[in-house]
Amino acid sequence: MKKIATLILAAGWALTAMAQNVPLKGTVQDSAGEPIIGAFVVQQGTANGSMTDVNGDFSLVTPPGAAIEVSCIGYATQVIINNGEQNLVVVLADDTQMLEETVVIGYGVQKKSVVTASIAKVDADALGVTAPTRVDNALKGLTAGVTVTASSGQPGASSRIRIRGTGSINSSDPIYIVDGMPISGGIDYLNPSDIESIEVLKDAASGAVYGTRAANGVVLVTTKKGSRGKAQIDYNFSYGLSSPWKEREVLNASEYALLINEGLVNSGAAPRYADPYSYGTGTNWQKEVFNYNAPQQTHEVSISGASDAVNYYLSLGYTDQQGIVGGNFGRSFYKRLTLRSNTGFTLWDASSERNFLNKMVLSNQLSYARVSSKGVAENSQWGSPLGSALALSPILGVYATDDQIAEYNTIYAGEKLVTDADGRVFMIPGGNFNEMVNPIASLSLPANDNWSHKIVGAFSGELQVWDNIKLHSTFSLDMSFWGNSGYTPLFYLSSNNRAGTTNVNAQYEKGLVWQVENYLTWNKDFGKHSVSLLLGQSALENSSDGLYGMRRDLAEEWYEKPYIGNAPNNTDDPDKQGANGWKNAPYRLASYFARADWNYDERYMAQVTFRRDGSSRFGANKKWGNFPSFSLGWNLHKEPYLTVPAWLSNAKVRFSWGVNGSDAFEAFRYTTLTAKDNNYILGTGENIAQGVKSSGLANPDLHWERSIQTNLGVDLGFWHNALTLGIDLYNKTTDGMLLQMPTPSYVGESSPWGNGGKMVNRGVELEASYKWGQGDWNFRLGGNATYLYNRLISMGNESGFNNYDSFQGAGTMTRGENGYPFPFFYGYKTDGVFQNQNEIDAYVNKDGEKIMPDAVPGDVRFVDVNGDGVFNDDDRTYIGNGMPDWTFGLNFSAGWKGFDFYMLWQSTVGNDILDVTRRTDISESNMPSYMLGRWTGEGTSNKYPRLVRGDNVNWQMSDLYVQDGSYLRLKNIQLGYTLPARLTQTVLVKSLRVYVAAENLLTLTGYRGYDPEISSGGTSLGVDYGVYPLPRTLLCGLNLKF
Amino acid sequence: MRKLYIIAVSAIAALATSCSSDFLTVESNSQTFLEDYFTTEPHLQEALVAAYDPLEWFDWTNQYSPVNIMSDIMADQIWVGGSDKTDNAHWHLMMNYEAVPTNTLSSLISDCYSGVKRCNDVMTYITWVPDLPADIAASVEAQARVLRAFYYNILWKFWGNIPYYEVNLTGDLTCPQFTADEVYGKFIADLEGAIALNALPMKREGEETGRVTLAMAYMLYAEAVLYQNDESRFGKALDFLKEIISSGKYALLSDYGEIFKESGEWGSESIFEIDYKTTGGQRYWSWVRGAGGTVLPRLISPHSWSGSDGHDGGWGFAPVRKETFDMFDASDARRAATCWVIDPADSEKYNHRYQDTGIFLEKYAAYKANTDSEGDADLRFNNNLRYYRYAETLLYAAELVVRGAGSGDAADWLNQVHGRSLKGQSVSLSLDNIKEERRLEFVGEGKRYWDLVRWGDAASVLVPDSYGYRTNSWTPSKKYLPFPQSLMDSTEGKTYELKQNNY
Repeated sequence: MKKIATLILAAGWALTAMAQNVPLKGTVQDSAGEPIIGAFVVQQGTANGSMTDVNGDFSLVTPPGAAIEVSCIGYATQVIINNGEQNLVVVLADDTQMLEETVVIGYGVQKKSVVTASIAKVDADALGVTAPTRVDNALKGLTAGVTVTASSGQPGASSRIRIRGTGSINSSDPIYIVDGMPISGGIDYLNPSDIESIEVLKDAASGAVYGTRAANGVVLVTTKKGSRGKAQIDYNFSYGLSSPWKEREVLNASEYALLINEGLVNSGAAPRYADPYSYGTGTNWQKEVFNYNAPQQTHEVSISGASDAVNYYLSLGYTDQQGIVGGNFGRSFYKRLTLRSNTGFTLWDASSERNFLNKMVLSNQLSYARVSSKGVAENSQWGSPLGSALALSPILGVYATDDQIAEYNTIYAGEKLVTDADGRVFMIPGGNFNEMVNPIASLSLPANDNWSHKIVGAFSGELQVWDNIKLHSTFSLDMSFWGNSGYTPLFYLSSNNRAGTTNVNAQYEKGLVWQVENYLTWNKDFGKHSVSLLLGQSALENSSDGLYGMRRDLAEEWYEKPYIGNAPNNTDDPDKQGANGWKNAPYRLASYFARADWNYDERYMAQVTFRRDGSSRFGANKKWGNFPSFSLGWNLHKEPYLTVPAWLSNAKVRFSWGVNGSDAFEAFRYTTLTAKDNNYILGTGENIAQGVKSSGLANPDLHWERSIQTNLGVDLGFWHNALTLGIDLYNKTTDGMLLQMPTPSYVGESSPWGNGGKMVNRGVELEASYKWGQGDWNFRLGGNATYLYNRLISMGNESGFNNYDSFQGAGTMTRGENGYPFPFFYGYKTDGVFQNQNEIDAYVNKDGEKIMPDAVPGDVRFVDVNGDGVFNDDDRTYIGNGMPDWTFGLNFSAGWKGFDFYMLWQSTVGNDILDVTRRTDISESNMPSYMLGRWTGEGTSNKYPRLVRGDNVNWQMSDLYVQDGSYLRLKNIQLGYTLPARLTQTVLVKSLRVYVAAENLLTLTGYRGYDPEISSGGTSLGVDYGVYPLPRTLLCGLNLKF
Repeated sequence: MRKLYIIAVSAIAALATSCSSDFLTVESNSQTFLEDYFTTEPHLQEALVAAYDPLEWFDWTNQYSPVNIMSDIMADQIWVGGSDKTDNAHWHLMMNYEAVPTNTLSSLISDCYSGVKRCNDVMTYITWVPDLPADIAASVEAQARVLRAFYYNILWKFWGNIPYYEVNLTGDLTCPQFTADEVYGKFIADLEGAIALNALPMKREGEETGRVTLAMAYMLYAEAVLYQNDESRFGKALDFLKEIISSGKYALLSDYGEIFKESGEWGSESIFEIDYKTTGGQRYWSWVRGAGGTVLPRLISPHSWSGSDGHDGGWGFAPVRKETFDMFDASDARRAATCWVIDPADSEKYNHRYQDTGIFLEKYAAYKANTDSEGDADLRFNNNLRYYRYAETLLYAAELVVRGAGSGDAADWLNQVHGRSLKGQSVSLSLDNIKEERRLEFVGEGKRYWDLVRWGDAASVLVPDSYGYRTNSWTPSKKYLPFPQSLMDSTEGKTYELKQNNY
């Protein structure tokens, strides 16, 4: 109460003070005497201020004696007192602190100004804005060269991260190193707000210090530490609602009946539906399947601080997210609890007394994460909920009619039909829809509970040995426990999707990774020469094992408690229960590494790195691999011999070259071992006899996949780095890619693994940012653009290609082939639709023979691509690929007094999508609405062919399935307001910010599917089987600091 | 205190830098080096079981290629069916004698050679087991060699001019190709050698059921000799068959329909079957090489069958030709056991697919009782594939006698088979009557096509049909299927390049 009174009094004083204001005029200059344009001149603690003009001049009216803050990005802020002067000259010193920005480079940090490699940094501020659920999502759109694709809208789904493209036909995933520890199984255990910074090591020179595993880039994550001062408590909260933002256009019931009739008639059969229009619009299966307003919430609390001896950071995070498909059935959710304790202790600090053994610091990072989730099948041609929703006839209802129930009682006698909670029987679509079942019935069945616990701890010591030599020793552990449990009740969805006996099962797995690292660092300046050396050793082991158990015949009264112990123990019937267990061979890696940095006056820089790795995945012949690299840099703006204009505040040229490796594949491929379970049934009792054979064919010379990369970069800063530009060009060649060597199938054994393939990635990365302000306004605009060129040079086999995925009814659809992007869509090219017989007759080869003699009017005209005069399999060719040529990110932030605004746009250009959501082999399947525009007679359509049931001629894999996947998306938009400190401080709150935000608010794309971001990676890159789309999420939240 | 840290840190450093190559040599927890493993008799027996394993793959590995159906679609008794001509397109192409290297049978090649390779390995492992009793060594060797001949026989019949090896390949993993006659010469000699080991029983009982027997080796011998029309070996083949007959270990089942029931598996008439089971099966789409059920009944049953007669639905392949039904006398017990004729009243209870006749192959038709819903239901049918039946022993023997291989009660043998299904009837002994009997007896069992080829009847019988399905005639060049293009490609530029068959 008293405080409020004081506030009112203070406000009153401010009003009266205005009356006696005096003007202040002057110029702002830098140390060289050049005027500074756009510097802020603001009366402290108020919104009263102005900006310098093109001459650096300003004027401001304030009460006499008021403190005035003069600031500009790139300079140290200065405070002056208004003494009424009219020609004041304010000289702002360069802000050296800003230039001292550091970058984490692996086993150390480096000043950004002397970095010679290509490293992208995303700091906590940038990460904090978007409040992502998962760390990998947070990188999206923020840096050039890092392509992040949401793998799915399923809560908790990991993102696919590609650093500088698809590096290999094998795993192209980068390695994640969190606080020095390589993390297997993804980094979703991290609470995003615990992260201090993420550095992405893009070129080979920066990655070389992680030699073996750096071929696809390195993501270094550094978690927060407490900073000096009294305890700071942060609490963040957000709540949001997610909904699908798009439905695919499919036929309604009347249209469906019409087109099915037409298909029947065109196939010479009688129409089925006497009065198509009587069915009205029918069931909108997509609406039935989607879950609207799926809630999500996040809580994060952290406490941090530091004194001379101790620094600490403690945090607790909880996030809970429901999915937009199946979330309302408890079938799609993600819950994560995280705990973290990062502490550091200075055991002794005698650096002022002696220069040997004078300081010892111990630190640890300890984190725990528990995740529990359930998920539905996604992006599958074999009957995922959304796939079924698109395929089922809209004439069918969600629930069975009384007539249908009567029919089911005879057809499905003895089967357990699926019902909802009220006992209503779900409709059964029957065999006409193949794998597509009633999605609502399917969602009503229980799903596996997936769970995981992960504990990651790093314990390290840093001892100053002598002079500037430090010894760092770290012991890290990553313990994870994961598994799932579930049960199958009796159910009947279709003849291929039913359970005649119940089954309750559970699987437990555990993994342990330990790593020991010891390294020495030495930094020394000799005059203008600055040298730092690193020499170290690392050893790592990753081991895991698991156990599985199952029992059948769980009684219905135990469905609520579906645990193995509650099912009968039929010890004498091996079909009624089962167990399995496994212990995987450990993966071990031993490494030695060294790095030398030198710079002269921060003008000339050079770095040399060498790593030697030994991996247990190779035989004695090829255990060890060497990974050298070097990089050079030149800061032109520091060159005294060059006259650099004052507005050019930074100009750096960088060059790097290096070799990285990859051993990301299974153990023992270099040798042959026994292989169990090659069994045969023998005996009158039909017993399974154990059969053992050799595991394959050995290749003792199997060795590392190797990537060689050169990088040329230029960094520019203008007007004291208010405007910055960065350009990187690179060329990355991966060779010795692991693949199964081509051997004749008559060898009688799967082919041995060998090093054969070669791939190249080239790219351009551009980054720019500009900061400016005006009055109370401040703005920042940042953008990045990535161009990527990817080619498979050699598949490593005789034929020069491999066919990969195929689509039911349409044949092969993805392929890798020498000289093409990897992978690409493979099929026929089309050239419209034959309108009449004359066009078919006129479509002839050079000998006058018809190229498509069997065609009838309304059929697709396929292009005789190879020009051999006949249309056949050999005419299949490149028809698109899923990797964008260009990827863009654009972020804009603005602030005005307590308000802040942020938005992030994201865009890809040049990627194609293969839309295979329609199974043409299922005659009864519903169809997309574009089929309304099919050919029905001359001149009706030159794109979509006539409708025939089970049409596998016109709908062979072709460019008719391919669509442009380019898009522009408003990924994130946010408006926040920080309450005035004088208000919040009265309740002991340092600051309180509230915000509203939206994710995926707006997407501009020509793609007809749910989402142009297609999850499938690997060989089905860009193939849309019916993705689980990203939701549109509306969020509100608050950030509270005590 | 400080010393303690120094010691600790140095200790860690010393420990960690002691990484040697031992650290990088890891052992599998589930696998063993071959040389260490195959050194005991039980382990040798496991290697032998693994050599039987590929028998179960024919119906599905990377392609659907049940070996009986693959033979019969090239003959004149069943159609191909499926949803249309692109559904298992290679079947349709084979049916019309227009198989192309880019679309032909391929998984059958790798299946059979997997068997060959494993048999060869068994022959090696025999030498690794110290103090292996001679009788066991002979038994294992005889089984491995007969199996190897069995796999080669299939390859030889379908592709003829194939690579042949009895020691596994090394180096660039290519192998010389031999002419069909050479291949025959090699594997028939190997089979003779295996028989001469005298280590196989005429019939197996109990837990041994399912393994190679002397009778099975004899049947394989007779089949190959007759297909080659190798008259020099006719006498020996006849002797072998007569040995089976006189052994008294085998007899015809009195009821033809019983043969293909679950209860008829390994009945008195069975000389060799490929085993499949439902309960406890380990075969999945993701592990098709597991021992378990077969997909064959699913393949050849009416699509989405919703009748309630105990039959289960399938995918509508291999509909039986109308003419096949018509060729049976109404009193012939084989008619109903071969043809499942769908009552016109039930016509709406399944999807009529391509080449539908309303008749399906009852011998391997899907029955709900023959499967369950666990695992991958389509791959769980328990129907054993009847490969050699005693009825064929009798008919082969009768044919050899008629073709002058030697003496024997051929008329009785023929009429045992004839009279079983046509009660009280008999026919006179003639090659034509034997041909007719085989035509009726083995529908859907993968015999007819090879019979027509070896009798020289293929070119006159396998001609375009009145429905427009088969538009090409069989010619002698169609005897050997083209090798898949991928196999051709994989030997290009290597030591032994494969030469394509002139199909």
